[in-house]
Amino acid sequence: MPNARSHMDDRRPVPFRGGGFSPMPVRYAAAIGFAVLLAIWELAVRRGLVSPIFLPAPSTIVAALGDLWRAGTLWQHVSQSLVRLAGGWCLGTAAGLAAGLLMGVWSLGRAVGVPFVSALFPIPKISLLPLLILWLGIGEASKIATIALGVFFPTAIAAYTAIDAVPRNLIRMAQSFGLPAGDVLRKIVLPGALPGILAGFRISTSIALILLVSAEMIGAQYGIGAFVLQAGNLMLTDQLLAGVLLISLLGLMLGAGLGRLERHLLRWR
Amino acid sequence: MIRLSRRAAVAGALAALSAPSVLRAQTLRKTSVGVLRLSSSGPVFIAAERGYWREAGLDVELKFFTAAQQVPVAVTSGDTEFGVTGLTASFFNLAGKGALKIVASQSREAKGFPLVAYMVTNAAYEKGFRSVRDFAGKRVGITTTGSTFHYELGLLAKKYGFDLSAVTLVPLQTLPNMQAAFKGGQVDAILAPVTLARALTADGSGRILAWAGDETPWQLGALFTSPRAIAEKRDVVERFVRGYLRGTSDFNAAFNQRDAAGNEVRGTNFAETIGVVARAVQQAPELVAVGLPFVDALGRLDVGDIYNQIAFWQQAGLVGKDVTGKEIVDLSFVRGHLNVPKN
Amino acid sequence: MRLVCESVGHRYGSLDVLDGIGLTVADGECVAVVGPSGCGKSTLLGIMGGLVEPAAGRVYFEGTAPAGSLNPITYVFQDFALLPWRSVAANVSLALEHHPLDAREREARVADALARTGLGEFRDAFPKQLSGGMRQRVGIARALAVSPAILLMDEPLSALDAQTRELLMEDFLALWLAARTTSVYVTHNLHEALRLADRICVLSRRPGRIKQIVAVGIPQAERAASAAAREMSILADRLWAAVREEAIDAEREIAHG
Ligand SMILES: Nc1ncnc2c1ncn2[C@@H]1O[C@H](COP(=O)(O)OP(=O)(O)O)[C@@H](O)[C@H]1O
Ligand SMILES: [Mg+2]
Repeated sequence: MPNARSHMDDRRPVPFRGGGFSPMPVRYAAAIGFAVLLAIWELAVRRGLVSPIFLPAPSTIVAALGDLWRAGTLWQHVSQSLVRLAGGWCLGTAAGLAAGLLMGVWSLGRAVGVPFVSALFPIPKISLLPLLILWLGIGEASKIATIALGVFFPTAIAAYTAIDAVPRNLIRMAQSFGLPAGDVLRKIVLPGALPGILAGFRISTSIALILLVSAEMIGAQYGIGAFVLQAGNLMLTDQLLAGVLLISLLGLMLGAGLGRLERHLLRWR
Repeated sequence: MIRLSRRAAVAGALAALSAPSVLRAQTLRKTSVGVLRLSSSGPVFIAAERGYWREAGLDVELKFFTAAQQVPVAVTSGDTEFGVTGLTASFFNLAGKGALKIVASQSREAKGFPLVAYMVTNAAYEKGFRSVRDFAGKRVGITTTGSTFHYELGLLAKKYGFDLSAVTLVPLQTLPNMQAAFKGGQVDAILAPVTLARALTADGSGRILAWAGDETPWQLGALFTSPRAIAEKRDVVERFVRGYLRGTSDFNAAFNQRDAAGNEVRGTNFAETIGVVARAVQQAPELVAVGLPFVDALGRLDVGDIYNQIAFWQQAGLVGKDVTGKEIVDLSFVRGHLNVPKN
Repeated sequence: MRLVCESVGHRYGSLDVLDGIGLTVADGECVAVVGPSGCGKSTLLGIMGGLVEPAAGRVYFEGTAPAGSLNPITYVFQDFALLPWRSVAANVSLALEHHPLDAREREARVADALARTGLGEFRDAFPKQLSGGMRQRVGIARALAVSPAILLMDEPLSALDAQTRELLMEDFLALWLAARTTSVYVTHNLHEALRLADRICVLSRRPGRIKQIVAVGIPQAERAASAAAREMSILADRLWAAVREEAIDAEREIAHG
């Protein structure tokens, strides 16, 4: 069969052209990458390639944390900051959710609220510190208010957009079954907006952490923000970075906590 | 003296004409100094404007910063070769790491020079806080821990024998914050720079108890550079100090004169010199005239006080124990430093 | 119960959508509404159920709802309208929770509705875990749970693939024949209309007017039999002729707004 023979000669495998462009999770890669980076950093400082004034070695930073721990002030700093963060975040979140709800479901609320929120959101809260001091003093109230103010706006906007994004057909469905307005809100609008609201929580917790330093500019003796501030003022760069490390650890923990909350509340997704 | 000022005039004219100055710039050694726009840096502005550094063969660029903290950092990082600013715990922490050396004085808190006031609120005053001896148990607003205000309170505590740890220091970071806390009565007292102090007394929100200069004179600021500059280009440092000292001398002659009764009198070239400073700090001359500090004509340091500052910060745990005054002050550029410790 | 539309008209802004619809759905009757896409079928159904306020005319329902009917006029939606965060059983129970039922009766209604739609073993599943057909079964179960007197269905099978549609149609027909609930069934699929409806109301293209009402004389149970094949095909041809020219015109229309 000469014909078949020649077909065989012509035969080539189809080359594979797909693949790529879809990053796969690689186990431990992040941890290893991080460790390598730390090692390079440590070595660079020890070898004198980088002056410890400009960039203290990781070991020095950890030692600074250790000093804090031994002095017994670490917990004092952390606990004070946690109280302020929790107070400010909860207050800002409660007010933000209420405002977002009003803007999400009520025409007048939206007409008044949206331009108001858009105008006030970008104000750097730190520039309001003197006013906050005048209004609320230099105790915990003004610190908590600084954080609450920072949390309020993104929460209100997240809640409002999330409520706006709840499919209208679900609301119509609920109405067609005669659900009272309160039930529509409770059983349709709020759960439907929950993913968007939780995504807003990620932003608002980060903002709360960012504002911690600003808040503790107001006459704070203890607190991670006050500690970072003081270290910066004194040019104690190892302590400065130790404080920054604490803040980012706190951020990681809050992020992980929110992740768990999301997985729990949004298992239906 | 006449010849000297004629030469200065010629140099000034040369500096004003751009073409010849380009020609001259080729032979000048370039360097830079970090300063704040404050009248305490007056000698720098005067030396630059009157061409004292050109005459010393230097082309000095003035780099302006907005916070005292930034100047030593700029010298440490090599952004500027020299720096002039107030001394704080942060300065000593950098200097202690071998990054900075003090070579001459800047301003000094001195008797008869109102720079920083101890101010009490009316409420605190009514409750009996009427003297600088009464600080114990009170809440006092300062900018930051480790600031010049912090040290001034330390000096006061030492002078009147009260315990500084019995004073609640409230770090408020900025002057507007301090002002707000003071007006709102959230602190009993603050340490206020002269302009703020005048504003607060003018609107009746508080009283001045005393001026820091009258109570506790001390070495407020200094001229400094990096140890490497001293080691590698001593000649440049010497020429820079020479030009700078002509600035301190002019400054002192114009602004720091007092009559026998201790009253202010206008010194040599007052109007012209205040114009130089006013332009540099970008304020009206009348305003500048209110807060002029004392600057030693010969640039001499109160060395004993610098040692004392280090000891104070170390005791407060804000500066490392390994920092020593000997290592961070270089006494060889200015003759006749004051109050030099024996050891 | 009967449903009566009296010269119902509607417009969205300047867009005329419905005009002069007069239609009575008799007790126990199933009327299909067909017409080209965009002619106002969904709007009409919305007006019938009180979800859209008509610009003109009125809608009445007459007669008393049977005992135990919690929500006389009840919808089944094209996109199912299930709450993704509620399980199958909880989605059905949503329609009952605001009624003063004791827990036992509510549970009994849910279980009954799930059993009738063949969802018994899926009661704890979430909507995203179900196929399209199963999701619409949940939508139907939810409607059954409130024992409706009038059932309004807006293209309930249109989002499904052809085979699923066929299967669901069989189940649905069986359910309907057992209960004979007064129904309006909106579709653009003539085959579905012919399987289910007693009468078929053909709407013109927008603004939708009643162009023709075709009565299907053969009982639903007998329509699939070969004896009825000829008559059914004649009906289908007649219907298609009525719909075809409207569909052609509607298709050539430039999209509005
Ligand atoms: N809420 C609305 N606002 C404005 N126009 C609408 C609205 N709902 C539907 N329409 C328009 O009205 C016409 C009829 O819509 P609809 O009743 O959904 O038609 P059908 O269900 O027959 O496809 C369409 O052109 C549609 O674009
Ligand atoms: Mg439709």
